[in-house]
Amino acid sequence: METTRQIRMAAAWPWISTAARLGLAAVWLVAGSLKIGDLAASARAVHAYQLMSYDTAKIAGAVQPFLEIALGLLLLIGLATRFTAAISAALITIFIAGIVWAWAQGLRIDCGCFSTGGDLAAGESTGYGVDILRDLAFLALSGILVWRPRTRFSLDGVFMGER
Amino acid sequence: MSKGSRDRAVKARQIVAEQKAAERRRTVTLWTSVAVVVVLFVAGLIGYTVLSGQDEGKVTTPGTAVDEGTAFATGSGPVTVDVYEDFMCPSCGNFEAATGPTLKRLATDGKITLRFHPVAILDRFSNGTEYSTRSAAASAAAAEEGKFTEFHDALYANQPAENTDGLSDARMIELAATVGLTSDTFKNAVNEGTYKAWATRATETFLGRDHTGTPTIVVDGKTLTGENNTVPSAELITETVEKAAG
Repeated sequence: METTRQIRMAAAWPWISTAARLGLAAVWLVAGSLKIGDLAASARAVHAYQLMSYDTAKIAGAVQPFLEIALGLLLLIGLATRFTAAISAALITIFIAGIVWAWAQGLRIDCGCFSTGGDLAAGESTGYGVDILRDLAFLALSGILVWRPRTRFSLDGVFMGER
Repeated sequence: MSKGSRDRAVKARQIVAEQKAAERRRTVTLWTSVAVVVVLFVAGLIGYTVLSGQDEGKVTTPGTAVDEGTAFATGSGPVTVDVYEDFMCPSCGNFEAATGPTLKRLATDGKITLRFHPVAILDRFSNGTEYSTRSAAASAAAAEEGKFTEFHDALYANQPAENTDGLSDARMIELAATVGLTSDTFKNAVNEGTYKAWATRATETFLGRDHTGTPTIVVDGKTLTGENNTVPSAELITETVEKAAG
């Protein structure tokens, strides 16, 4: 019976990975498109972490939403899935580190994950714990894809000659 | 052909086929990865280009502005107190209510030069009407008519809540009238948003000085905060000013 289960799992993995791939693509597309309309606010969100000078934060804040959307599109079409998932994981790890830093420093900021972020208005709570948990969930999605990058409906599959 | 050699031939073909498949996978992985790097690089470059191409428009700097054209001063005391505020920021409203009178008294008594820096970092909290930028621009127009402080106080006395439309231009003009500011120059400047590009530039200068939030209070060149990064109290500011005066 063990072998039947293994065969079933082997058949299921590409579908699990496909769901992870599309989910992660959606995460990036949403995160990027929320920021792309106001690059000045995106720059302030980065600057609010007080990790870099404003001039550097301006560049990071402008480049970031475009990178996020590009990653989202690449995952959507499934090109070099393992590689894009690894880059996603690296980026998400940086974001988590940023939130932990802000938390440790006692900064009162909006993480800017799904917003243009920046300093919080009075009365708004920081919710760093929730932000980190959410990012860990995204990290898990990337992890699945790095581990099992074979997915359905992907350009990788087409190029590899899979059916 | 014997059975044994037929098996060997089949196996050999299988091995060759597997090797070919593996090579194909390697080639595909290599080139798709290269494509991904190129795509991400281009995306980043687009972001950078958009950033450098952003035009702040024609900046009209108010003639009365000091400190790189970003602030409006009252008093001429020896110690400089810089106050960076966003007219939308509730915490600035609280600061004004609690500490505004003390600051003005210090300025009138000739102890400090009080410099107000209107900045606009909370545009996202006014349902797209960009109240932060509009109000900062209107305050510059008021400064040009010599009524900055009066208009500034009127805006804080009528401060809109976050996530509302903020005060309309018409409402700001009405409030200005209550403090004796009725000139057409002022009204036109508010209606035409004459100083909006200036407000954006003043905000850039503020951020470029590595300040991140409002209100930011700087006494004698040093950022002053209360315990745990809180807004400093009137007492703390007075004490710091006296120390700086020597």
